Amino acid sequence: MREAIKLGFFLLITCALVGLGVSYTNALTAPIIAESEKLVQEQGLMEVYSDAEEIKDETEKYLSSEDSVLKQVNVAYKAGKPVGVIYTVESKGYGGSIKTLVGFDIVSCTITNIKILSHTETPGLGAQATEPWFAERFQGKSATADLEVVKQTPQDGNEVQAITAATVTSKAVTLGINEARNHFQVNFIEAF
Amino acid sequence: MNYWKEFSKGLLSDNPVLVMLLGMCSVLAVSTSVINALGMGFAATFVLVMANIVISSIRKIVPSNIRIPVYIVVIAGFVTIIELIMKAYVPDLYTSLGIFIPLIVVNCIILGRAEAFASKNGIIASLFDGLGMGLGYTIALCALAFFREVIGAGKLMGISLFGANFQPALIMILPPGAFITLGCMLAFLNKMQEKKAS
Amino acid sequence: MTKLLIIIVSAIFVNNIVVTQFLGVCPFLGVSKKVESAIGMGAAVTFVLGLASAISWLVQKYILNQFEIGYLQTITFILVIAALVQFVEMVVRKFSPSLYNALGVYLPLITTNCVVLGVAIININENYSIIEAFTNGVANALGFTLALVLFAGIRERLDFANVPKVFKGIPIALVTAGLMSIAFMGFAGLM
Repeated sequence: MREAIKLGFFLLITCALVGLGVSYTNALTAPIIAESEKLVQEQGLMEVYSDAEEIKDETEKYLSSEDSVLKQVNVAYKAGKPVGVIYTVESKGYGGSIKTLVGFDIVSCTITNIKILSHTETPGLGAQATEPWFAERFQGKSATADLEVVKQTPQDGNEVQAITAATVTSKAVTLGINEARNHFQVNFIEAF
Repeated sequence: MNYWKEFSKGLLSDNPVLVMLLGMCSVLAVSTSVINALGMGFAATFVLVMANIVISSIRKIVPSNIRIPVYIVVIAGFVTIIELIMKAYVPDLYTSLGIFIPLIVVNCIILGRAEAFASKNGIIASLFDGLGMGLGYTIALCALAFFREVIGAGKLMGISLFGANFQPALIMILPPGAFITLGCMLAFLNKMQEKKAS
Repeated sequence: MTKLLIIIVSAIFVNNIVVTQFLGVCPFLGVSKKVESAIGMGAAVTFVLGLASAISWLVQKYILNQFEIGYLQTITFILVIAALVQFVEMVVRKFSPSLYNALGVYLPLITTNCVVLGVAIININENYSIIEAFTNGVANALGFTLALVLFAGIRERLDFANVPKVFKGIPIALVTAGLMSIAFMGFAGLM
């Protein structure tokens, strides 16, 4: 019994020392991590909607806390007037969640750009969704009707060509964008 | 001194991946590009060296029947430290390696070296052992990643090698390619050894 | 319900943990020389992984998130898994010696099996509920068992095949695993 207590005590001390070391590292790196995450977020927003003077996080105003796909709403302002909306959406892809940024222009009512923030898709297949040519397939699409994924060259204005051999990923990204598009149409186009 | 011997054995003759066949999971998974391989190799080397040093320095006071839990806690501590550092300074690499950074904890190379070497040898010898094993792991990882990236994506370190008309053999970058390439590499090494012996 | 079904099919076939996600390759190559031992290992992993998924989920939600110490996740999970494996070993030995005889040798190996820690972390990353996490854990363990048993079956026959000398042993096993991985990619159409 005494032996067991001694061993437990030794293990406890080891855990405490290791915990201390890790906490210290965390205290040092936490501000840097927060800073770089903020930077990535800001750069992402700028990339998706470049023509803005100010971008404000208005998630609380537009979303209920338990939305399964839409995660964040940022509104872009120019000369004090809202000109664009950027959504952060999360949808289920082939290997796990895909987090995507999608921007809409209020005046022209089109998609400005998209950007994949994080994913766990297969390298070489679904992971190609991060390539610029995939984002280009969405640029300029009208935000008045749902987008549809097709496997050939798109015929119709709201068709988007899937990545070869990665239809599941393409569909997942499009599903998230459609959800955002729907919210955008209801709250920003019809409301004005 | 024979520190050189401790260091160099990990590179080829006792290479943890190619000869001892340890730590296969992360080798197969992150070898899709040379950049990933280098990042992973660096992270694992850091953990190996630090864990070896600490475990070697406490080897005389750890009661032998709880040594494994103690080693695991020490290793997990260093893994978390490198995880936080990578998240802070190389966030892109951190995201692309994903779950395989925390999984360094259960990489058999590290616990294996702690048990087989650091718990029996002095601090400096353990340091060199860790460094050699870590580098050996990185070399194996990079060699595999080199073949997979060049053949499977037509790129090296993210730079396109053969121009736009090149159709890469996609299978190499997909999961099956990892198994098959590593299998062929091991067979090639066997062949070399055979030649040397005869 | 459909969500659970998707998780199960996805974990066992489409995203098989061994041949497409590379978790648990060490026991896959090490313990898969005989079908019998593959089944034993698979059963032990299923048992532990189901429990570990549920417990690590509770630990994440009620300890790590509560005190905002998410950065201690790796350490806490590996400790939970190590303690769980010890505990399971003691309970099984006490109450079911026959089960202990069948699984006993595999249990200590599970602590350092990356399937267990990997799935525990994936459960958290994917924001699963506790039921989904448990289902995912068991389904992944079944996928692991399936791959292990199939592979053991192939390897038993491989012993009689005339393999080039340099490919004998692990190299041909890896190439076989690659071919199996190609076969599993065929399940992608299920999604």
